[in-house]
Amino acid sequence: MHGPDIQWYVVLSGLLFATGALGVMIRRSPLIILLSIEIMLNAANLLLIAFSRLHGHEDGQVFAISVMAVAASEVVVGLGMIVAMGRRNVDLDVDKLRTLRG
Amino acid sequence: MSSAAWICLVLPLASALAITLAGTRISRRTAGYISTVTTMGSFAAAAVAFFEMAGRSGGSRVSVTTSWTWLQAGPYHFGLSLLVDQLSVLMMLIVAGVGGLIIAYSVGYMDGEDEERRYFAYMSLFVFSMLLLVQGGNLLLLLAGWGMVGLSSYLLIGFHQDRPVAIAAAKKAFIMNAFGDATMVLALFLLVQKTGGLDYASVFAAAPHGGAAANLIALGLLGGAVAKSAQIPLHTWLPDAMEGPTPVSALIHAATMVTAGVYLIVRCHPLFENAYAVQDLAAGLGAATIVMAGLIALVQTDIKRVIAYSTMSQIGYMFVGAGLGAYPNAMFHLMTHAFFKALLFMAAGLVIHAVAHEQDIRKLRGVGKLMPQTRIVFLVGSLALVGIPPFAGFFSKDSILSAALDHGTYGYVLFAAGQLGALLTGLYTFRLFFIVFTGEPSAFAREHFHAHHGSEGPLSMRWTVGVLGLLSAIGGFLQFATVWHPLTDWLEPVARPIVDATAGQETVGSILAVGLGLLGIGVAWAIYAAGKAKAPRALPLFEKKFYWDELYNAVWYRSGDLLARGLDALVERPLILGSLSAVTGGAGLGGRGLGRVQNGLVRSYVLALAAGLAVLAVVFLSAR
Repeated sequence: MHGPDIQWYVVLSGLLFATGALGVMIRRSPLIILLSIEIMLNAANLLLIAFSRLHGHEDGQVFAISVMAVAASEVVVGLGMIVAMGRRNVDLDVDKLRTLRG
Repeated sequence: MSSAAWICLVLPLASALAITLAGTRISRRTAGYISTVTTMGSFAAAAVAFFEMAGRSGGSRVSVTTSWTWLQAGPYHFGLSLLVDQLSVLMMLIVAGVGGLIIAYSVGYMDGEDEERRYFAYMSLFVFSMLLLVQGGNLLLLLAGWGMVGLSSYLLIGFHQDRPVAIAAAKKAFIMNAFGDATMVLALFLLVQKTGGLDYASVFAAAPHGGAAANLIALGLLGGAVAKSAQIPLHTWLPDAMEGPTPVSALIHAATMVTAGVYLIVRCHPLFENAYAVQDLAAGLGAATIVMAGLIALVQTDIKRVIAYSTMSQIGYMFVGAGLGAYPNAMFHLMTHAFFKALLFMAAGLVIHAVAHEQDIRKLRGVGKLMPQTRIVFLVGSLALVGIPPFAGFFSKDSILSAALDHGTYGYVLFAAGQLGALLTGLYTFRLFFIVFTGEPSAFAREHFHAHHGSEGPLSMRWTVGVLGLLSAIGGFLQFATVWHPLTDWLEPVARPIVDATAGQETVGSILAVGLGLLGIGVAWAIYAAGKAKAPRALPLFEKKFYWDELYNAVWYRSGDLLARGLDALVERPLILGSLSAVTGGAGLGGRGLGRVQNGLVRSYVLALAAGLAVLAVVFLSAR
């Protein structure tokens, strides 16, 4: 087996996930939030592939590909909404989109 | 014999069904004719059964036919069976005969009334119900007929559906009767438990003697009889039932309804003889009703109500007779009463029909001068009611009074009540007669009287009244106590009397009763015809009918009302409504509280997610 040990992958993935989560929590632009979600998804992908390689099974890679597909569709929907918001001159600020407040 | 009895029973039912199903395809007049012809046919069948029975010797006169087993429950079998014996054939003749005359009379009386077809269908149903009651071969069928009689009376009393008073009267009659039905059903439950069936023969053979069970059974049956026959304390429905059309009143009073109680006591006399205290109670209630109804009748101003109270009083005599054990006398009085009471109602109906449907005797004053024929038949009916020889009431009523003399000290009390009743009967009957049928016609009567094509009423009304007048005049000669007594002999195998008045007692009873009746007539004449004395002021006690309605109002309505209000204030509002509003209030409060969490800030949701994830991670890691 070549390359770094599995611990490094886990740590990197954890860092990436934390970065993404922090981004979702503290940023207000929907574009950045979408970006941060992508980072979190890819952190998960990284972990999936790393463990797949460790165990010599292909299951993790299959999952990773489907996660990419989900992420791609999510970006399509999310970006579409953001473009629509921009066209209607809605502020691109998630804190102002509070119509669903209880 | 039994086939004739089946025909007798089924014809009125067929008529009711036919009229109902035919609906508007037949004319209103045709419906009347169908009903009349079938009821008369029923009478003919009853007569055939009677003659067939008379042709047989004593032992083979009773026949029970079962067409099919109606109800089977474990060891109990209840067949749809008819019992044809001396007693039921007598009742069949009375019910179908008098009923047929009354329905024939209705053809004229109800002419032009809306919904005549419905009326005649109900009338046929009524006759069928009563025939089922008297012909039923077991107590269950009797109960079925009993309930159907109550139903038919409800339908007919409330015939004028647009009048709230009539509806109220119908409901009152039905509820009072339902009360009696309930006590009867309880008695039948006890009988089934004690004797294992409801067939007359087996019940009478196995019924308990004395003790609580026998008394309770008799008491339950008496409750039914008292309600159906309008005796104290379940009598208040009868005067209100006058809201029905006049022929309905005649039918209820003469043929089909109020006599059922007397029939029940006579039919079930072995059960009552096993509980002599209850039998004495029946006689006592009858005696009390005689006097009370007589007193109330003195002050009534509605022509039909006076006659209604006289019915209560006369049924009281029958109860005294049945309670004493003088069953043939009670049945004899039932028969003559059917004649003269139907006659009185129908003669009153002629007056009401001719004078713009007015029933107030103060307005009808002196109408007899305009209707001389009606005056004669009404006089015949009145004399028969008071019991003046040779009219029918004399023979039947006096024999009941004489029988009371053969019953010890208690008998004397009953005798005294009956004699007082005779005096009152003379007084109130002839008060009515003198006011309505003698003297100069009032302005109202003159103005509203209209002759029917030059006569006093349609032909159908006149001939039926004539027949009943004849029967009231001569019907009593069927039996003259101690001299000849074919009715007593006829009924002996079914209902053997347990009292037997001697010739001396008969003489004393009769002379006293006739004397008092004549005295009553004389007083009525002095006050209301000759004007020799001023009419005494009506006592409020009598006008308010001894406050029975007020009593029931206070005991049942007010207490129920009070209970309902109390429950509303103490249970409904604080407990049920309170708990409901607590539940809804709690849900609202919780919703408002939880709603605050939903603040619309995506970041806070994500924080909650992350926190949840962290907690889960810690839990799983530490649990490993």
